[in-house]
Amino acid sequence: MIKALGYFIEIIRGGLITTRHFVVNLFYHILKVLGIKTKRKGSVTIQYPEQKKEIASRHRSLHRLMTRPDGKPRCVACMLCVTVCPSECIYVEAAEDPDPEIQKYPAKFIIDLGRCCFCGFCVEACPEDAIRMDTGNVEFAQYSQQDLIYDLDKLIG
Amino acid sequence: MQERANEMIKIFIDEKPVDAEEGTTVLKAAERAGIHIPHLCYHPAFPPEGSCRMCLVEIEGFPKLELSCSTVVKEEMKISTKSERVVEARKAVLEFLLAEHPLDCPICDKAGDCKLQDYYYEYGLFESQFKETKEKREKKLKIGKSLILDQERCILCTRCVRFLKEVTKTQDLGVFHRGVHSSVNIYEGTSVENNYSGNLAEICPVGAITDEDFRFQTRSWFLKEGESICPLCSRGCNILIEYHPGFSRFELPNRVYRIKARENPEVNGFWICDRGRYGYSYLDEGRADKIILNKIEGENVLTWENISEYLGEKINSMSSAKKTSGIALILHTWLSNEELFLLHKIFKKDLKVEKIFFADLPEGEADGFLLTSEPSPNRRGAQEIGFDIKAVDLSTLADGTDFLLAFGPFLSGLFSPKYLKGALSKIKRKVLFSSYSHELNSLFDVVIPVALIAEKEGSLTNVEGIVQGFQPALEPPGESLPEWKVLCDLGKELGMDSKFYSEFPSPETILSEMGEKIPFFKKKND
Ligand code: SF4
Ligand code: SF4
Ligand code: SF4
Ligand code: SF4
Ligand code: FES
Repeated sequence: MIKALGYFIEIIRGGLITTRHFVVNLFYHILKVLGIKTKRKGSVTIQYPEQKKEIASRHRSLHRLMTRPDGKPRCVACMLCVTVCPSECIYVEAAEDPDPEIQKYPAKFIIDLGRCCFCGFCVEACPEDAIRMDTGNVEFAQYSQQDLIYDLDKLIG
Repeated sequence: MQERANEMIKIFIDEKPVDAEEGTTVLKAAERAGIHIPHLCYHPAFPPEGSCRMCLVEIEGFPKLELSCSTVVKEEMKISTKSERVVEARKAVLEFLLAEHPLDCPICDKAGDCKLQDYYYEYGLFESQFKETKEKREKKLKIGKSLILDQERCILCTRCVRFLKEVTKTQDLGVFHRGVHSSVNIYEGTSVENNYSGNLAEICPVGAITDEDFRFQTRSWFLKEGESICPLCSRGCNILIEYHPGFSRFELPNRVYRIKARENPEVNGFWICDRGRYGYSYLDEGRADKIILNKIEGENVLTWENISEYLGEKINSMSSAKKTSGIALILHTWLSNEELFLLHKIFKKDLKVEKIFFADLPEGEADGFLLTSEPSPNRRGAQEIGFDIKAVDLSTLADGTDFLLAFGPFLSGLFSPKYLKGALSKIKRKVLFSSYSHELNSLFDVVIPVALIAEKEGSLTNVEGIVQGFQPALEPPGESLPEWKVLCDLGKELGMDSKFYSEFPSPETILSEMGEKIPFFKKKND
C-alpha cells in the first residue's frame, strides 16, 4: 500500500519536472521573441540527422592510423596502445621491415570498435603519434558486430 | 662456484649495521643485506670490470665516490648508497650513458626488462641536454645463429665479451676502436655459434644484443613467468618459462614465448644451453587435449575419473600368472621420480611384470659443459628406483602379451610405422599415455592426454644424482592431467595394499615415502 503510494508520488514529481522545464523554456523563448537578451538560452531540438551540430575541436571520433611520407604506416607496433587500452580491443602483430631505420611495422592492426569505449588512451600512449581519433566520423554504426572490427586497411583508409 | 666461507666483519650501509664476508665487495655485501645498488657492467658470474660507473657509492674517509662493484669491504666501513652526492652522480652517469643512446624503446625487444630504462625511471628523470646529432652505427648486425647486435644501444659494459672469453672461451666478440667510436663487434669471419649463445641476449643489460627467436614476437611486460626444470637433457637446468596469459578478445597461437635461465649454482650456474632455450616448441605444438577412444567395447565412455577403474578392471580380470607374462609396459624417462616409483611398485614389485621397456629419444652428444648425451631428464632417477633400462624389443613385447600400457610419444621414432603396426596388432588391449596428437595414437585403443613436466608437480634426478623438485609453471591443456594421479588411483583400484596408495595425495608425500624405501632418495630429500 505504502509502496504504491510512493509510486504515484514519483509520477507526480516527474510530471512537475517536465512542467518546470516547459515553463522555463517557454519563458526564455518569449523573452527572445520580445527582443530581450538573456545569458541563458531556451533549449532547442536539433533535427538530427537532417541537421548536424558542429563537433568540438578536441572531440574523439573514429580512429585512424597515420602514415609516413611514403605511405607506410607510422606505427612501429610497440603495442603501448594494446597495453593501455582498458577495453582490450586492440590487437597488433609486429613484423620485420627490411629498412634498418624502421625495423618494426605492424603486420596486423585490429581495433574492435564494438568494444572500444572511446577513452582516447591509445592516442595518449602512442609514442609515434601514429594513431589519432580526429576523423570527425561518429556515424559508423553497423548491423553486424563483425563489421565493427577494423583492420589496418580500414584504419589507414 | 661457491665462495669459501670467510670471517664476517661489520660494516655500515646507509647507517644500518650489516655483516659482510671479509674480502667481499661493497656491492655484494649490500646485495646480501637486501640493499640494491644500481649496476650495469657487474655480473655475479664474472670478476668486476668497473666500466659503467653506475654503482658509485660514498664511503666515509674516501675523498671521491667509489665503485661499489670493485671496492673491497673493510671493518667498520661506513657506506652511503643514497646520499645526495651519490644520487647526483648516478644521474650524471645515466645522462652520459643516454647521451649517445638511440632511445629505441618502442621497437626494442629489451624494453620492459632493460636495466637502463629501469634506472632512468628510478634515478634519472632528467631532460636531455644533448643537442648534437647522435653517432650513427650498425643497427642490425647478425652476430650469431640467433643474435642481433645493435651497436647504437650498446653501453660498452663488456659483459658479452667477458662471457665469450670466460664461459664459452670462444672469444668471438671484442670492443673495437676508441673513445666515442668504440663499439662492440664480431671478429671478422666469425660468428657466435656455440651452444650457449642465447645467454648473451639475457646478460646484455640493454637491448644491444637481442634474440632473433624472440624478435618482435610480443612485448616482455605481457609475459608471465613460471619456474621449471628443462627436460631436454639429463642436466636438469633450472629455467624460467615465460608465457603469454592471452588477450581476452584475440586468440594467440602459442603460450610460451621464451625460456630463460634460472640461477642454481649447483646445477647450471647462471646459464642454459641453446637447445633448452630455443627448443620450447614441444610445449605447444601438436598437443593432445582430449581422451581418444579408438576401439573400446560396450558403451563405455572414458573420462579421467574412471580411467583407473577401466585399467584396474582389465588387469583384475587376468589370472596372476597371466598378469606377469601378459602385461607389458613401455616407459620413458620424462616421467618424474614419483611416477616411476609408483610404476615400479605397481607393476614390477606387486604384479611382477617381466616385460618392461623404455622408449626414449636416441642418445645425442654431450658438449662438455652443461648439455649431456641423454636427451631426457630422469634416466638416473629410473635407475635409482630400480628399473633396468632396456630398449624396446618388439618381438618380445608382442609375444603372448594381452595388455600393453605405453607412455610417451617416442616409440614412433624408434621403428618404421609398418613394423610397429604389425607388432602392436597382435596385442589385444593397448593404452597409451601421451601428450601429443600423433600418428602413433591410432595404433592404441585408448589414448590419454597427459601433462608435461612444465605442467605438473614432482621431482627429477639429474645426471649427477641431484634430486630437484618442480611445480607447475603452465596449465595443462584441455583434459590433460599428470600421470601420477592415475597411477595412485590405479594402485587403489587393484586393491593392493590400499592403505599404502591412499596415503598419497601429492607428489611431495610420494617422495617422502620413496625416501623411506630407497636410501638414495632419503639422503637427497632432507
Ligand atoms: S579509445 Fe580507449 S577503448 Fe578505444 S581503442 Fe583506444 S584505448 Fe581502447
Ligand atoms: S602505440 Fe602507436 S606506435 Fe605503438 S602500436 Fe599503438 S599505434 Fe603503433
Ligand atoms: S636498450 Fe633500453 S633504453 Fe635503449 S632502446 Fe632498448 S629498452 Fe630503450
Ligand atoms: S652488447 Fe650488451 S653486453 Fe655487450 S657490451 Fe654492449 S651493452 Fe654490454
Ligand atoms: S657495476 Fe660497478 S662500474 Fe659497472
